Amino acid sequence: MNRTALLIALVLAPCMLIFVSLFIGRYPIDFITVLKVFLSYFTSIEVADIDKTVVMDIRLPRVLLGAFVGASLAISGAAFQGLFRNPLVNSGLLGVSSGAGFGAALAIIIFSNTLLIYVFAFGFGVLAVVASYLIARTYNTAPSIMLVLGGVIVSSIFSSLISLAKYVADPYDQLPTIVFWLMGSLATARYQDLLYAGVPMLVGIIGLVLMRWHLNILSMGDKEARTLGTNTNLMKTLVIGFATLATAGAVCVSGIIGWVGLVIPHIARMIVGNDNRILIPVTISLGASYLVLIDNMARMLTGSEIPLGILTAIVGGPFFVFILKRTKGASW
Amino acid sequence: MCNMDKLMTIKEAAFDYQSKQVFHDINFELHAGEIFCLFGPNGCGKSTLLECILGLLKLKNGNIYIKDTDINLLKPKEIAQQIAYVPQVHKKTFPYKVIDIVLMGRAANTGFFGTPDPADLEIAEQSLSVVGMDKYRDTPYTMLSGGETQLIMLARALAQQTPIIVMDEPTAHLDFKHELVILENVVKLVKEQGVALIMATHFPNHAFYFENKGIRTLVALMNNKSFADFGAPSSIISEINMRKTFNIDSKLIDFPLAVGERIRQIIPVNTVSPEY
Repeated sequence: MNRTALLIALVLAPCMLIFVSLFIGRYPIDFITVLKVFLSYFTSIEVADIDKTVVMDIRLPRVLLGAFVGASLAISGAAFQGLFRNPLVNSGLLGVSSGAGFGAALAIIIFSNTLLIYVFAFGFGVLAVVASYLIARTYNTAPSIMLVLGGVIVSSIFSSLISLAKYVADPYDQLPTIVFWLMGSLATARYQDLLYAGVPMLVGIIGLVLMRWHLNILSMGDKEARTLGTNTNLMKTLVIGFATLATAGAVCVSGIIGWVGLVIPHIARMIVGNDNRILIPVTISLGASYLVLIDNMARMLTGSEIPLGILTAIVGGPFFVFILKRTKGASW
Repeated sequence: MCNMDKLMTIKEAAFDYQSKQVFHDINFELHAGEIFCLFGPNGCGKSTLLECILGLLKLKNGNIYIKDTDINLLKPKEIAQQIAYVPQVHKKTFPYKVIDIVLMGRAANTGFFGTPDPADLEIAEQSLSVVGMDKYRDTPYTMLSGGETQLIMLARALAQQTPIIVMDEPTAHLDFKHELVILENVVKLVKEQGVALIMATHFPNHAFYFENKGIRTLVALMNNKSFADFGAPSSIISEINMRKTFNIDSKLIDFPLAVGERIRQIIPVNTVSPEY
């Protein structure tokens, strides 16, 4: 495929999807009305308040947040796959999702305040990764296999704690909230969310984009990366740090959305190959497009919203198989 | 570059692994255009010594100087600007293109958040042609054979543009042809580019091969946790040393190959029971 064409397609795809999403929804707004809403900011065109509210205050923040969350999960997954030299790992490998899940559950039980849910989810997500890292740290370094092990231990502890939280939660009020939170949703998205969670997501994404070529080198393994001149301890810590910021930022506002961090990097690998210099930017585009698309389905498919965590796998699974068959597992 | 440039000095080097001594009293100097063969039985500490030289492990005692600087004072990047490494076996995970692998040799010359520039790509392309693998430029390297992969690793080390290359048994697992291809490339690098080579090997005949090609070659026979013997291949690789080190009987042969060219080889014959 022509590289320039590919590049343009990858930039346009999420933009197009974001735009299209604005006139998709239960309340009918057509294409022209969306354009009018945008133009009303620059010209004297009159639009109904309801149209403006639906487009600008309900749909736009949600769609933008979806794009950010999708991009964050996908890029972190790709970075972890490179770092751990394993194509089967995803962005939740070091326990960030289960940590965030527990933080959210705890906040729901104690405070039932949305902002505190974010703060706790983010804080515990980061805490889980720090714990995994400390478990793995021996002799001044953190070998990848120990990190994976640390992640498994921390994830299972936090999963148990989530169960404990569910067990003690009020079954009529708190329990459903916890369960829905864990299934992931963007339904409550507001600009505020974009403001709070956008910062860590953006920092994480930019950091990983800057380090993308060094991910190639880290994927050669610690020993070779060192002899190629990489300060592996520092580089690994930075990659884990950026990926954790991005994932924790995403999870704290969206709940747990699995699958994106595993499958999007693979689809990207099949399209553009494994060089992280190209792969990493492509996962941003694909991750953003995919989650915006899935969120549109979540809003439209049935009378009430379907949690995102359910749809990502149900839709993503067959799509992944299709790609796999189509490219005959290209380059694997 | 003067042929007697001192590139590396090792003084009184000793290493313990969890209070178990691995080696001690290691001394040597490496100069430009030399090949230093590290030879000895399995588990004698060759690879550990190489890892110390690469800065991956720290000596317990003694010093390693790269040119005149103690290796402990150098950052990984600075070490990698002086020493490149060809691993014994490279574990492949992702099917990177061959050129992308070679390009990784430029990491020590690329900024922290940087990506390689066109000049780096140019160097990588040249390195690939030096080892004669340029036709595989865009092939996924997971599709290459063991011997071809080793040539790519050599090209990557070459792209690092270091005065020293360290190789850990570079011909292990290779067939006759690829073994020779690697050796021929090594000879070319040392002769044409003046690099110095440190090579751990299980094949004493490699040292003879380099000596036969007119390269200044040194052999260190590593046994009982130190250098048991040290010098030119023809003085070190002898029937008596093979017996002392490996408890084997062997036969040294010296054979005229063509006019003015001889081939010297040592052939293992049979094992003997250890002398007490």
